[in-house]
Amino acid sequence: MSTRTASLAVASALATAVTALAAPLATAGGMSMSGSMMMKQREHTMAELHTGKFVRCFGVALAGHNDCYAGPGTTCAGTASRNYQGNAFKLVPTGTCTAITTPYVTIVHGHGSLSKITEAGR
Amino acid sequence: MSPWADLQERFAGALRCPERPPPVGCNGPDGLPDVKRFDVYRNNVLAGLIDALAQSYPVVRRLLGAECFEETARRFVAGHLPRSPVLLEYGQEFAAFLDRFEPLAALAYLPDVARIERAWLEAYHAADAPPLNPGALARIPAERAADVCLTLHPSVRLVRSRCAALTIWRLNVTDGPVTGPEPIALDASAQDALLARPEAEVDVIALAPGAAEFIAALASGRTLGDATECARNAHEPFDLTEHLTALLGGGWITSAHLKRRRTRGP
Repeated sequence: MSTRTASLAVASALATAVTALAAPLATAGGMSMSGSMMMKQREHTMAELHTGKFVRCFGVALAGHNDCYAGPGTTCAGTASRNYQGNAFKLVPTGTCTAITTPYVTIVHGHGSLSKITEAGR
Repeated sequence: MSPWADLQERFAGALRCPERPPPVGCNGPDGLPDVKRFDVYRNNVLAGLIDALAQSYPVVRRLLGAECFEETARRFVAGHLPRSPVLLEYGQEFAAFLDRFEPLAALAYLPDVARIERAWLEAYHAADAPPLNPGALARIPAERAADVCLTLHPSVRLVRSRCAALTIWRLNVTDGPVTGPEPIALDASAQDALLARPEAEVDVIALAPGAAEFIAALASGRTLGDATECARNAHEPFDLTEHLTALLGGGWITSAHLKRRRTRGP
């Protein structure tokens, strides 16, 4: 593609995008969104914001991040001297990964066995 | 090294290694070395940091199970004491740690799931910025369209994975079941994810092929023309209209400017 043709293609794409977005909300449903990239419930979020029921709370930390760990000795969990220092924990995954199979790895549920990564099928 | 810096160094060293005795000079109220009190303190530091990691990486924790996560986190913490007083920033190196963590090497997707969780957290706490009104771009003359530089929203994060990390993250980000009675087989094809918080919620979007190259190019300040070329080099066909519409419509672009044309010699 020549530089000129390429830049015309960019201009055309930009113009189409701008026109589509300038039209009323209905275009969101009518836009060509064949790919997996799409607008995601933006109207819904905005509507919630505008009802006033949904309060923007930027800067509010997730649970745990606001806690002051400078002095967790004040909580009963923090008074133990060694509970996180032992080495008795298991490194065998027992969570949901045991139910996931990919061509890279198979973990047999209930066994917790970790097979080596294989590149088979790649 | 000053005595104070030396004490700090030894104190931090003893925090990292449970086997080490308290640093000399670290005494109880009776003026004598107090191993048990120091152990409580050391345990609290570990507990707090492991908890912080669990809060930041709930999907990794769910994938591994509580016990395995705790042990993994404990080993991470031992090598990564906080460098910032902001606990929210703690654990940035967790994904890279998992890349090299031999005992869990079989879970090839795990580091990328951690990257998605970190990107989510960063997007959630990123600065606000009003989106660009797409109408502002209508004034740009067609022959200059390829010279437009777009500024992405400060919360935009890109995570590229050669595994199905995004699918795995999605399946585990809620408490619902991840599978039926049979193990689920996930396609291991590469997945690119875009995370951004243009409004109050973090959007997590699966990207079409070429889109990651396109967005990365825009993020590095390349022009629309250059970014489109990057996308097309990575994947043909690449639907520029669709991606521009999504980026502008999603509120992921905050400003635009024209790159000055280089004056070329004859």
